[in-house]
Amino acid sequence: MKRLIDSGLEQLASMLFHMGELAEQTVSLAVMNYLESTHDYNQVKNLSATLSSMADPIEDIAFEIIARFQPVASDLRIIKSYMKICYDFRRYGRYALDIAQIYERLGGMDECDLSFRKISNEMGLETMKMVTTSIQSLRNHDAELAKTMSKMEKHVDKLYCDYLDKLIATTSTTECTISSLLVVRYLERIADHATYIGESIVYLATGEKITIN
Amino acid sequence: MLLNKGSKIDVNKLNIWFGSKHVIRDLDLKIQLNAVTAIMGPSGCGKSTLLRSFNRMNDVIKSSKTTGEVFINNKNIYDSNTNVYDLRRQIGMVFQRPNPLPKSIYENVVFGPKIHKMAKGKNLDKIVKQSLKASAIWDEVHDRLNDSAFDLSGGQQQRLCIARALAVDPEVILMDEPCSALDPAATAKIEQLIRTLSTDYTVVIVTHNMQQASRVSDYTVFLYLGEVIEEGDTKTIFENPKHELTEQYITGEFG
Repeated sequence: MKRLIDSGLEQLASMLFHMGELAEQTVSLAVMNYLESTHDYNQVKNLSATLSSMADPIEDIAFEIIARFQPVASDLRIIKSYMKICYDFRRYGRYALDIAQIYERLGGMDECDLSFRKISNEMGLETMKMVTTSIQSLRNHDAELAKTMSKMEKHVDKLYCDYLDKLIATTSTTECTISSLLVVRYLERIADHATYIGESIVYLATGEKITIN
Repeated sequence: MLLNKGSKIDVNKLNIWFGSKHVIRDLDLKIQLNAVTAIMGPSGCGKSTLLRSFNRMNDVIKSSKTTGEVFINNKNIYDSNTNVYDLRRQIGMVFQRPNPLPKSIYENVVFGPKIHKMAKGKNLDKIVKQSLKASAIWDEVHDRLNDSAFDLSGGQQQRLCIARALAVDPEVILMDEPCSALDPAATAKIEQLIRTLSTDYTVVIVTHNMQQASRVSDYTVFLYLGEVIEEGDTKTIFENPKHELTEQYITGEFG
């Protein structure tokens, strides 16, 4: 028999999953815009604003469920985790907007040295993969899939460090190196938020509090 | 963070039957000293029977049969030489509905100390004041101690019953759904009182109200068909229960 709390939880999940789809789309557009000059700034800006505006209604529903149904056990863990994930999605949107703004202000990677471009490309693709994984694991409450992000995050971190080492070794600073430095930093932060989402999923599915990052 | 102060009640292989009905089955349990332990579970799982085994209240039911041991202060209360009247002074009990005696507020509180010949005269006055204060009702009744207990509201009557239990200086207080007949305001006062009492007493409470168990208790025991399915600190039971049945019960999937 369906419990009274179930419709609230379903509504919450549906809103969060929709937010996840938009967050994935926003990051993807921002990264491709930067790497391949697809001129999607306005779309990223609008999506980022939409993501920001979605957080309050999700929080309201979560609070209403807490106030009306006093959830416990897995219900409680789901609500706590969903609220945290909602914040992470919002950060996805914010960093995506930052990346798009950098492109608008400083341009893309066309003028960059090939080695910088190679690292940024790889980081962008790996980070997008993490974003997709975080959303897939949310949809299925899949703790095992969430844990696979640990390896991906290490890879992103390594690329970030490689980039910094290369930058330190270089003798000239150009608009391109400045812009890509900022972008790889944002990508590294997006990857961190993907792991936070993974940790929330492991917690909601198993009750286990782990660190993926 | 919970402090483990050791156990006050140790239950070993407890079995209770009423006629042919096996209500408590081979149950082992430790009740922690000076803490609130909530016993929860669906109707008929044996919660009240277990609670009443701690002061041998089941003995008054002719068809009951008990085997196993219940140690309180390292003494098995089911030993043949146990003085049941002394035991019930040591283990106070508060019931679902307030049950004041048809006497004054004062007489209700001194009833136990008089029977047990614990005090006389001025000392009785002292016990009355102490017990009513500890039950958070002194301020409301101190100027009308000779009024009938029936003049009090339901919540006040229940606190008076707690004062009556405290008056005989017990070590353990058993509460069988103490708020089920009370309104939310009276319930809040009793719950606050339960928390305060746990500083000096070991409190065991049976409740159907899960939110109440999560609010007032330090430890929770989930009972099903006369067996302990899961026990542990309340935070863990309500946030991350280990057993599927506990999860199903507290999230309202059955019960």
